[in-house]
Amino acid sequence: MNKFKEIFSSWKLLITVLVIVMISERIGLLKIPIGSGSIMFLPLLYAMALGLILYLAKPVKWVNKEQTSMADKFIVIGISVFIAKVGVQSGAAIEAVIKAGPALILQELGNLGTILIALPFALLLGFKREAVGMTHSIAREPNVGFIASKYGLDSAEGRGVMIIYIVGTLIGTIFMGVMSSVLASFTPLHPFAIAMATGVGSGSMMAAASAPLVSMFPDMATEITAYAATSNLLSTADGIYMTMFIGLPLCNFLYRKLEPVLGKNRKVKTN
Amino acid sequence: MEKAKKGLTLDTFLEYCLIMLLITAIAYIGNWIYSDFGLMESLPGILILLAIAFVGYTLSELIPFNIPSVVYISIVGLLVAMPVSPLSEAVVAYTGKVEMLPLATPVLAFAGVSMGKSWAEFKKIGWRGILVAALVMIGTFVGSAVVAQVILSMTGII
Repeated sequence: MNKFKEIFSSWKLLITVLVIVMISERIGLLKIPIGSGSIMFLPLLYAMALGLILYLAKPVKWVNKEQTSMADKFIVIGISVFIAKVGVQSGAAIEAVIKAGPALILQELGNLGTILIALPFALLLGFKREAVGMTHSIAREPNVGFIASKYGLDSAEGRGVMIIYIVGTLIGTIFMGVMSSVLASFTPLHPFAIAMATGVGSGSMMAAASAPLVSMFPDMATEITAYAATSNLLSTADGIYMTMFIGLPLCNFLYRKLEPVLGKNRKVKTN
Repeated sequence: MEKAKKGLTLDTFLEYCLIMLLITAIAYIGNWIYSDFGLMESLPGILILLAIAFVGYTLSELIPFNIPSVVYISIVGLLVAMPVSPLSEAVVAYTGKVEMLPLATPVLAFAGVSMGKSWAEFKKIGWRGILVAALVMIGTFVGSAVVAQVILSMTGII
C-alpha cells in the first residue's frame, strides 16, 4: 500500500495542477487572426506552459524533481479517459471512418515525407549517423524504444532519436497545434486531410492539432474528430512496424546515397 | 514507455484506478468551467468514459500481447459507441456532455511539470537539432495530409 502513500504525498502537485487547469479553462480558446486565416490557442497549451513555468520558477518548491517522477505516471494513466472519449467519437462516426478507410490507411505512409524532407537537411547541417535516428520517424515512444534496442541509446543513432524525442515532447504539441491552423488557413488542403494528419504523433499532439480544426469548421466536427482519432489509433498500432520495415530501411538506404554528396566536409558534434 | 513485463497485481490495478480517478476529477471540474454543461449534467458521461478506460486497461493487462493500453481503450470506446451497439445511443448522448479538450488539459499540465526535467537537455541541443526536429514534424504532418488529400479526392469523399 506504499504506492497510495506516494500518490497522496503528491497532493501539493495535484492541487497545483487543479489550479492550473481552472485558470487555463477559464481563459478558454483564443483565436488570433493573421491575414485571411487564424491561429488558435487552447487551454491545454496554457496548462503545459504554466506547468513548465512552475517547475522552472524556483519559489514553487513543491513542484520539484521528486514530484516529476509521479507526474510521468499521471501522464501515462491520465490520457486513458481522453482516449476513451476519442474512441467513442470514432465509434459514433464509424460509417464515415469506414468510407474513408483507404485514405486513413494510406496516409500512414505520409510519415515517409519526414525522411525525404528532413534527412537531406540534417546531412547539410553536418549530422552523420545521428541523422538516421533523427529522421527515420517522428520519434515517439515506440520509435525511441526500437532505436534503443537496435543501436543502443549511447550510439550516434540513439543520440539522434533522443534529440527529436526531447524537442518533440517539449514543443511538439504547440507546434502541431499551430501547424494545423496554418495549413487549414493558408493551403488548399481539405480539413479532412489535415484531420488525418493530426494523428501522426502522440495523443496530446492529436488533441492540440485537431481542436483548432473543429472550431474553424464546426459543421464538420464529427468527421474531423473521428478521422483524427482513427489516424492516431492506426499510428499507435502500426507505428513500430512502419519504422521497422519501411522507415528505417529507407532512411539507411538514402543515407548511404546522400551522405557522400551532402555531408562532405561537414561534421557537428552531438555528444 | 510501455513496461516490458505483463502481469496484473492488485497493487498496480488499484494504483491505476486511484490515479485515474484523481485526474478525471480534475478534468471533470475543467469541463464544467470550459463548457456550458453543469456538474450533474456531465457526471453520467464522465462515469461512462471512466468505465471504458477501466475495461480497456484491464484487457490490456490480461491479454498477453505487448500492445499499449490506449489501443484497447479506444477499441472498447469505438465498439460501445458504434450504431450497432445497443448502448450506442445512451453512450453517445451522455458522453456528449463531456468535451474532448478538457480531458486532455490536466494531462498536459503534468506534462509541463515533467518537461521541466528535460529543460536542461533541451537547452543543450542547439539550433541545428531544433531545426531538424521541426522539419521532422512538418514532414510527417504535411506528408500525411497530402497523401490523405489525394486518396480522399480519388475516392470521392471531398
